[in-house]
Amino acid sequence: MIRDSIKGIDRILETEIPKGSIILVTGAEGTLKSGLAFSLLASELEGGGDGLYATLEQTKESHLNNMESLGVKTPDGLHVFDYQDMRVEWRDREPDMLKTTEEVLDYYSEKHKGLSLFALDSMNALYTLSDTTNLRREMYYFFDHLREMGLTSLLIMEDSSHRGPEHFLADGVIELGLVEGADGVKRYIRIRKMRATKHRMERHQMVVDRDGISILGPIY
Amino acid sequence: MENSLDKGNGLELSGECQACLDRIVRSNRDVILLSILWERPMCGYDLIKEIFSRYNVFLSQGTVYPILYSLEEEGILRAEFNKGNMRSKSYSITPEGKKFTEEKFEGFAKALEYSLNFFRR
Repeated sequence: MIRDSIKGIDRILETEIPKGSIILVTGAEGTLKSGLAFSLLASELEGGGDGLYATLEQTKESHLNNMESLGVKTPDGLHVFDYQDMRVEWRDREPDMLKTTEEVLDYYSEKHKGLSLFALDSMNALYTLSDTTNLRREMYYFFDHLREMGLTSLLIMEDSSHRGPEHFLADGVIELGLVEGADGVKRYIRIRKMRATKHRMERHQMVVDRDGISILGPIY
Repeated sequence: MENSLDKGNGLELSGECQACLDRIVRSNRDVILLSILWERPMCGYDLIKEIFSRYNVFLSQGTVYPILYSLEEEGILRAEFNKGNMRSKSYSITPEGKKFTEEKFEGFAKALEYSLNFFRR
């Protein structure tokens, strides 16, 4: 499935990622974390099925506009949930977003029985808006919830020097970044970890053209 | 009486009755939301408050907003920014959504009546 999604991804994935894996997509701003996660979901759902993309900081409209500008088409089964109305209307008593996210997932999985893919944009925002007194424990239960639902999940995370519990709990970590060379700045993708999957470890160039994201050869 | 509430309809609900009502509201959230929006447009925040005031049941945000978004996606609800407040949206039932809503109400009421028949014997 993921190996057939975006152009050139088979350069870094030698075997398929098992269904139900939880994968962190990490990187600094401008490295296309949201674009990559959304593209993976969109390509996967082109042939049918349902997925949920939850965005904590952008409105649905703004997110979809960004994706359109990247050349990504949104299939019918890809549902986008934004927290904007909730956050504005409940600004004085913002709910715990970790619990809210689980409820949102429960609703979509009940409504769309074929729900198989999930992306959360972003974990950093989720932490800011959740009670993180027992972060490791809370994350354990959140990941457990995702696993129980059998969802292949992409959790977006801004770069941070701090390695939180999500790094240990996740089945995979995809790192996105920028490298500056003689011929300018290039985006790269690298799989740091992917359980039960054969993959390359080198950084590979990632480009965007009017057909969306593609992965090119390694960058040394 | 502990665990009871006196609602606008004058009925005092016992603890067991309130517990049943709680289950009915939670498992029929879409019908309950539509029944309130049938009366007037409202934002998610006001809907949650209204449900609490009518049924003494607090529906969390994560169980209400996804329903509003789905019903909007299906063309049953329309969301419009409130005048003078471009950050808050009010939901109303669309002309196309009226038939769907009526059928929902009818189905819900008939199911309740059907169940009640067994209790009235």
